[in-house]
Amino acid sequence: MTDSLTTQQITSAEIRAHLRERSSATLRRRMATSRIMTILCWLAISLAAVPLVALLIRLFEKGTPVLLKSGFFTQLPQQPTLFDQTNTGGVSNAIIGSIAIIAYATLASIPIGIVVGIYTAESDSKFASTIRVVASTMVGAPSILMGLFAFGLIVVQLHLGFSILAGSFAVSVLMLPVLIGSTEIAVRNVPPTLREAGLALGAKPSTTSLRIVLPAATTGIVTGAILAISRAVGETAPVLLVIGGAYAITWKPNDPGSALPVTMNSYVASNFDSLKDLAWGIGLLLVLVIFVLSFAARIWAARKQKVQR
Amino acid sequence: MVATAKTSQTAVEAEGRRPSASTRGAYEWTLLIISGLFGLVSVWFVGTIIWQSASTFKSQGFYIFTGLNWIPGAGTGSPSQYGGRAMIFGTIETSLIAMVIAVIIGTGTSLAINFLLPQKMKTFVATVVELLAAIPSIVYGVWGMLVLAPWFLYTIGPFLSSLPGGTAIFGTTVAGKSLLLAGLVLAIMVLPTFVAISREVIGAVPHELVEASLSLGATRWQTLWKTVIPTARIGLFGATTLALGRAIGETIAVSLVCGGVIGSSFKPLEPGVTIAGFIATQWGEAVGSDQIGALFAIGAILMVVSFAMSVFSRRLVARQRRAAAVV
Repeated sequence: MTDSLTTQQITSAEIRAHLRERSSATLRRRMATSRIMTILCWLAISLAAVPLVALLIRLFEKGTPVLLKSGFFTQLPQQPTLFDQTNTGGVSNAIIGSIAIIAYATLASIPIGIVVGIYTAESDSKFASTIRVVASTMVGAPSILMGLFAFGLIVVQLHLGFSILAGSFAVSVLMLPVLIGSTEIAVRNVPPTLREAGLALGAKPSTTSLRIVLPAATTGIVTGAILAISRAVGETAPVLLVIGGAYAITWKPNDPGSALPVTMNSYVASNFDSLKDLAWGIGLLLVLVIFVLSFAARIWAARKQKVQR
Repeated sequence: MVATAKTSQTAVEAEGRRPSASTRGAYEWTLLIISGLFGLVSVWFVGTIIWQSASTFKSQGFYIFTGLNWIPGAGTGSPSQYGGRAMIFGTIETSLIAMVIAVIIGTGTSLAINFLLPQKMKTFVATVVELLAAIPSIVYGVWGMLVLAPWFLYTIGPFLSSLPGGTAIFGTTVAGKSLLLAGLVLAIMVLPTFVAISREVIGAVPHELVEASLSLGATRWQTLWKTVIPTARIGLFGATTLALGRAIGETIAVSLVCGGVIGSSFKPLEPGVTIAGFIATQWGEAVGSDQIGALFAIGAILMVVSFAMSVFSRRLVARQRRAAAVV
């Protein structure tokens, strides 16, 4: 009796020891795997950071002297020659062209985008969901296709020629679906209780939407609009196809014009180092404008939210 | 979630009947008409691209998908030959390289941001990532062309070619500009876009799940791999599709670094072309000839691919959501 008990005790102790040993082996393996994978995650974040930091450093290093050079903002471009390689002039025409393109595109797409966004947020009809699907599909469409569309419609079908108008049309088609999406989210994020309160007070659905829901959604709508604009600022491909290219300063929609990213694209392929440097300068200018816009959007949204609270 | 759904239901009930056609006021009509206008523009968009490319599809037939020659016939007396195989393959190859790099590194980065970085760093890194995602693609292209291409020419290219079988797999680089470089630049470019979303979806994984997994004795990696990533898979898939869409449609950055040569070997170190990049670089000399139609035709292929991807991903996400809701 006692004998068997001790045997049993020994056995269970043995089993326990065996188990402990085995599990600690697995545990050790699991811990090792975990440690290796953790290190790999650190490696991933450094691998992601290194090129992006390197890019930004190079951009500021190469671009800052160009931006500080006199005439970058005010002079027209000059063609450098072998005897005068630094005679590049400025990019005033491209700056004006870019501002014109963005301005016209914004004027056209913001009202339409916001209205369609409100519609898709408020209506649950079949048509609204179709529009929603179409908008989200267009968001993912390659931007060069908007250039093809602008060429087909403005240049070929309407005979308006390569122009600032065609460029801003391409950009506005690009911005529209983005605006629709961000507006829809902003309107949907308004607490339904607000709308219910308005309706309960006897306001018409349209009055409720315009006077209660929309003001509450303004922050989201404006932030979305600023981000859409900042996306449009650096868009190259669609504008490149239809802008025409011109060395004169012009605001007129039906003139061929120039744009910063397009100029950058042609300068970087140049044989003159001075023009390549100019491309860095334009790149820095674009990045700065975009950073300022996104920061403005963020700060504005944060302050608005604080006020609302 | 359920609560909001219920309240909005009550909102509908409180409103009584939804405004039908007869009760639509000026407000409703404005919304409807302008939305219709947007719908019309979208239809016109698709129509224009198809209409402009129809003649090429008719004259080239299947050659536009499979052919390797791109020879405008104007002035030579022989018919034009427009084959898009190099562009289609180039697009697939560069996007594939970019996605493999971006998804692996991006997921690791998002995990690191959420689970390894100290709390204070998180918001800072998140802001930086979103700012990086807003950098125009042409800046990446210029950097790739002026900085990475020489590096590829003198360091990476010779190294890869010197590996056993390297020339057979990778080929040899002649100017640094190559499909591999294009894929790498794309990867660096879409990385912030991917991380901006994947960071958020990984951060949205409920803390209870992570804690439950850890309290059951799972190690950190087991928790990340078996709990966090499967929970966030729908969002990760969405991030991947978005990044892929950007990679496939990217024009300028790729056109600056891919080399722009219609080749037939598609080895990573050799120069190539992509659909979008080819349209942009060829455009100048194409205007006014039948080549425009051919460029529209490869553009139409790009459009169909992009739309198909969008539809496919929407379906998959919807199905996954339904499956998740049932569980």
